[in-house]
Amino acid sequence: MREVYVAGIGITSFTRLEYPLVEIAAYPGLMALRDSGLKKIDQLYVANMGSGRVNGQTGLASAVVDHLSLTPAGAVTIENGPASGASAIKEGFMAVASGMHDVVMVIGAERMREVNQLEATDFVATLTHPLAEYIYGVTLPSLAGMFARLYMEKYGVTSRHLAMVAVKNHHNAMDNFYAHLHEEITLEGILDSPEASTNNPYVADPLRFYDMCPVSDGGACLILVSADVMKKLNKPMIRLAGIGQATDTHAVHERKDPTYLFAVREAAKKSFAMAGVKPEDVDVAELHDAFTILEIAESEEVGFFKKGEGHIALEKGETKIGGKIPINPSGGLKAKGHPVGATGVGQAHEIVLQLRGEAKKRQVKNAKIGFTCNFGGFGNNVVCLTFIKEK
Amino acid sequence: MELNIYAYKCKRCGHIHYPYKTICKNCGENDHNEFDIVPLPKKGKLLTYTTLYNPPSDYEVPTLALGIVELEGGHRITGQLNIKNPKIGMNVEGKVEVVRKEAYNKHLGMVFYQA
Ligand SMILES: [Zn+2]
Repeated sequence: MREVYVAGIGITSFTRLEYPLVEIAAYPGLMALRDSGLKKIDQLYVANMGSGRVNGQTGLASAVVDHLSLTPAGAVTIENGPASGASAIKEGFMAVASGMHDVVMVIGAERMREVNQLEATDFVATLTHPLAEYIYGVTLPSLAGMFARLYMEKYGVTSRHLAMVAVKNHHNAMDNFYAHLHEEITLEGILDSPEASTNNPYVADPLRFYDMCPVSDGGACLILVSADVMKKLNKPMIRLAGIGQATDTHAVHERKDPTYLFAVREAAKKSFAMAGVKPEDVDVAELHDAFTILEIAESEEVGFFKKGEGHIALEKGETKIGGKIPINPSGGLKAKGHPVGATGVGQAHEIVLQLRGEAKKRQVKNAKIGFTCNFGGFGNNVVCLTFIKEK
Repeated sequence: MELNIYAYKCKRCGHIHYPYKTICKNCGENDHNEFDIVPLPKKGKLLTYTTLYNPPSDYEVPTLALGIVELEGGHRITGQLNIKNPKIGMNVEGKVEVVRKEAYNKHLGMVFYQA
């Protein structure tokens, strides 16, 4: 396999965007072209989960490649639930690594706010098992609620720990211009004060409003290239060094221990093995905190902490910027936002910024190895990426 | 007639699947995808649960309680709860009832009550 580098990156704000999905996809593509200095690509992959259902548009990649006037490059749309983004990066990697293409653009884009919040939640719920989950009214928040209840019972995680994830990630997002929520929150405001139950009502108990990510629109882009192309560009040499993907049962109730995220564990293990690094080598990570409990659980499954000890590390501040392993310096899905199909590309965008040293106030010092975990379904399809900064 | 939720028992190794799969998860039997249809037990223990405060828009209720139940024999099922104060580990018993109504369709599923 050939080595694969990130030549350019781009992103939109993750928020409510009042322009068409094709443009939400195209603008980060334009930014990434400018960032890289490249004018042409061989292939485009567009990650998106809901355009057919939510926006009434299919064949998105064909529309985007034309919008960017990059025809006749190849173009393919990739739908893989909330893991679409990192799945598209995997495809892009393989296209370059195999020698088939030299320059591949990977875009993730989603426009969910075209429908109301209930419709958006119902759209995402269609990825649950149609007969064993969906017919009961199961949504992603309800799976997260059941997961959190069992996790708290088993490992001693409390509502306070969950709130600490939200406080940390909201704080990080304050320094991220592109984040959806610029709202500093406190444990007092969302947990301890008399107003807390109004500010922070239950959504899927034990999870509350501030345990959930917002519904966002947004797009992000990475341009992946071969070493030969990369050397001509005079950009920081950020290599996509490891990719791991794994799956788990569709229905959550079928898992032997429903507090284990087996696919996260497997995907991380494969990603680290391919990159030739260990979890403890990682300087900065973006984990898929669609729900606060997931940041804690994933931080254990990927190997940063022992099972059942993620909340203790959080309490000690080890996951803050400046801590042992900063998690979600971008604000994470929790505060940066979660445009589902774009999220995995957004996570990679943040890691590239961090490794380049371009993350400004939220910069993790001397970050050389970065990691992302993009979590699809309720953990039934997970893609983990490892990036390494080369001299 | 008593309504049941059915599971799929591999004819070769006896492994019970719920929901249905095309290939047996246990023995990999893939010659005929042959399964016997067997009713799932209805009694069990509540493994975990949640109350959803914004149920999907086709439910005309303010809250919806959902849970995972470990049935007698060890199989698990996701279902709705009709229980005042649910607790992890409590004994529950299921009834097959309408769990979702769509314009032209009613879906049957398991609703659990305190046993
Ligand atoms: Zn079998």
